[in-house]
Amino acid sequence: MNEVALDQPVAAELGLSVGDTVYLGPAPDSATSPVRVVAIYQSRPDPAEVAKRERHLRLHLPFLARVLGAPDKVDRFSIGLNPHISSDSALAALNQNAFGYRAYGTAVIASESSQTFLVVSRFHRAIAVITVVASAVFLLCIMLLKVEERRLDAAVMRFVGVRRRTIFGALLLEATIIAALGCLVGTGLAWLAGLATNAYYGRFFNTALTFSRITPGIVAFSVVLSLLLGAGAGALAAWRLVRTRPMALWGRG
Amino acid sequence: MTAVLIASNLVKDYPMSGDTVHALRGVSLVVQGAEYLAIAGPSGSGKSTLLQLLGGIDAPSSGTVEIMGTRLDTLSDRELTRLRLIRLGFVFQRFHLLPVLTARENVELPMAEAGMSPAARRARALELLGYVGLAHRAGHRATQLSGGEMQRVAIARALANRPAVLLADEPTGELDAATGEEILDLFTRLNRDGTTVVVVTHDDRLAAQAGRVIHMLDGRIDSEASLQTADQSTRYPAAPR
Amino acid sequence: MSGMSWLRRSLGRHPLRSALAVAGIAVSAAMLLDMVMLSGGIEKSFAQLVLARGFQIRLTPKGTLPFDTEATFPGAGRTIRMLRSEPAVQSAGAVLGTSLFGRARDSLVTLFGYGIQPEAQGLYSLEVGRDLLPDDTAGVLLSRPAARLLRTGVGDTVTLVGRLDPQVVTAQVSRKLAVRGLVRWVYDYKGQPSVGTILPVMQSLAHRAAGDRASLIMVKIRDDRAAGAVAARLSQMLPSLEVSSVADLVKQFKQRLVYFRQLSFILATMSLIVTVLLVATLLTITTNERLGEIATLRAIGLSRATIVRQVFLEGTTLTLIGGALGLTLGLATARYLDGILTSFPGLPAAFSFFVPRRESLSLAGLVLLVSGSLAGLYPAWLAARAPIAATLRAEAT
Repeated sequence: MNEVALDQPVAAELGLSVGDTVYLGPAPDSATSPVRVVAIYQSRPDPAEVAKRERHLRLHLPFLARVLGAPDKVDRFSIGLNPHISSDSALAALNQNAFGYRAYGTAVIASESSQTFLVVSRFHRAIAVITVVASAVFLLCIMLLKVEERRLDAAVMRFVGVRRRTIFGALLLEATIIAALGCLVGTGLAWLAGLATNAYYGRFFNTALTFSRITPGIVAFSVVLSLLLGAGAGALAAWRLVRTRPMALWGRG
Repeated sequence: MTAVLIASNLVKDYPMSGDTVHALRGVSLVVQGAEYLAIAGPSGSGKSTLLQLLGGIDAPSSGTVEIMGTRLDTLSDRELTRLRLIRLGFVFQRFHLLPVLTARENVELPMAEAGMSPAARRARALELLGYVGLAHRAGHRATQLSGGEMQRVAIARALANRPAVLLADEPTGELDAATGEEILDLFTRLNRDGTTVVVVTHDDRLAAQAGRVIHMLDGRIDSEASLQTADQSTRYPAAPR
Repeated sequence: MSGMSWLRRSLGRHPLRSALAVAGIAVSAAMLLDMVMLSGGIEKSFAQLVLARGFQIRLTPKGTLPFDTEATFPGAGRTIRMLRSEPAVQSAGAVLGTSLFGRARDSLVTLFGYGIQPEAQGLYSLEVGRDLLPDDTAGVLLSRPAARLLRTGVGDTVTLVGRLDPQVVTAQVSRKLAVRGLVRWVYDYKGQPSVGTILPVMQSLAHRAAGDRASLIMVKIRDDRAAGAVAARLSQMLPSLEVSSVADLVKQFKQRLVYFRQLSFILATMSLIVTVLLVATLLTITTNERLGEIATLRAIGLSRATIVRQVFLEGTTLTLIGGALGLTLGLATARYLDGILTSFPGLPAAFSFFVPRRESLSLAGLVLLVSGSLAGLYPAWLAARAPIAATLRAEAT
């Protein structure tokens, strides 16, 4: 009897195990070719397939071609080259005489099939930019409010002779510390959100793929940007405060 | 004369950092209509607290306050607020005008709350500002006025709804001597024109203008004196009623 | 002095503060709007696409969606005859989708071929020239990209070849066809070079021994409302085929793009939270700054209700202005984001992710307004409960 290997999710869904017999065919009313399950495999998670929820199995090529009624037809060949052969020269040679097919390097295939994810990446980046803009506005507003709350204190300090530079520096330091604390908390939140995202989508799509990954580079970029925005907002708010006359700060000017 | 304000055995205690501050220790007081009463005393003697209780801004720990026959402790918060709106006028040490509004608009505020029509309250506001000598500054924002001008606008605002009693807490506290004199004159004129005035002050000149002075010390009335008030300046016309 | 002028002056007291709050709300509102458009847009756009030519039911090989795979099913003609005899069915047309080649000068270019039944087709709209007749074995319709690729136009002749054999370097089938018209294929992606012939011609060109095979049958029924019931009945009559109503297709499509719906929900929620936080923080700090003023107003007789109303109105006004600006900004950013997402390979060019619908935009606007107004609850409560005497005492120190 011919043999088949089943993808693990398919075996689980259909309640099949090694040794069982199934019937295959090209159409629902012609599933008459018996095959024996000889193996259950775990396929490598493929992001391109994750949303499709297709059922995969593996057969010997001649048998599959026979079942489909196309005994000498395939979709593609995979070619492994000898160590001393360059892929460019092999491609050139193959495509020179190609008729009805075309040869591609693996990198090109990978790049083309990744287009979907490039689009998703661009989308995520755009959303991130919008979020950062909204956060920056929010941050600036809050910093302004917090600094303005201290205008009477600032006025008194100016009255007693404290320099603008000192007040500015103190407020900037405060803003930077708050920004740094926020970065810490935010990094922790992002890590937790990443865990939750991977757990949720892993279960949702029944896959071992990683959906969210926080790399040191991402952390570094986010921290630097947040610190810059936080300190920048604090600096702007502090500058507005110190350039106002003390009497105006006091409410009398 | 009929009593417009009766305070009976007022006690007020405040919790403060685990301790209790006895701001008032049993103060009784009667204010007659058209009277000019000054409440004087050193800082911490309880005079501002007494004024706040008389005005219904705060509630006593015990004792009662009656304004024109109505006991304040029988009123709901809404009724008390309404009473303050139409029966009382307040003047504060720090003026407390709304800085975003003009002088006229500040004076109109209580009248708008009382439901007066825009035209009527505008006319009355201008009249009151004229009374306090600031008709020419009606369109200026509060922040554009001097301290004395702001206090006069505050007085005009306090008169907006024709109050039975005008309560003032240190009205000259933030003003220089000359400006303070102007305010003194104004209060005297108000009283001469029939308004009952109760002023809390540690300013002897202000106290000297009153018909009766109560001295407070440590939360009690220490002494009381009636004074003859001299007929003051006729610089300004009579108060609009 | 009216309440509105007091409100206007209060918001203008700190113009930069108010402007920043409005800007923050506008950006959040724009994001909210975009996410609302995204969550409903996918479904709406896809449904519109599927119903573009009025065919409410699709029949495909079992377990597949239209043009999802290269699978075909036999006996298309027999199935069509059976369908056309159904009283509920107004028209039915089979389609075969296949890849094939066209001769352009000395080279072969890859094309996508549609084999159609012109008398009952739901795949294209004619732009230039004329349509195919049902028995037109010598005619072909081209998409504009195909016409450019083949360097040809209406009235010219093109050669389509199929079943290429690389061993003998020849095409087993070659047909010379006259270009009858240029059409816009509803389900083509941007730049897709597609050609269309009548079904028997394409079956002969197909790179498999096609016979009477088709990829898809499109069915138009007389009563839109009965689509679900008719689909269920056809499914029982044709158990070897997958019968899908528009609702079924939309459901499947939504499942494929579930990530975007979930993302839109999360981002929309976050936008609302940001709006609420911004308005609440601004009003709380502003109220705290004005507690002395508020205590004075209460002392001179203004009721709690007046104070609370004023605080509420400030929050509502900021949200209204920010929301209005956010609407304009949101429509602009939606266009930009749609441009990104519609560059997904293989996505029909007519498809949109961000679709503005009056009901959802109105709902989003209402939710934003209510949220922004409710954000004033806490500061209004602060203002209302401020003890007059204690506050005045604190102000005096």
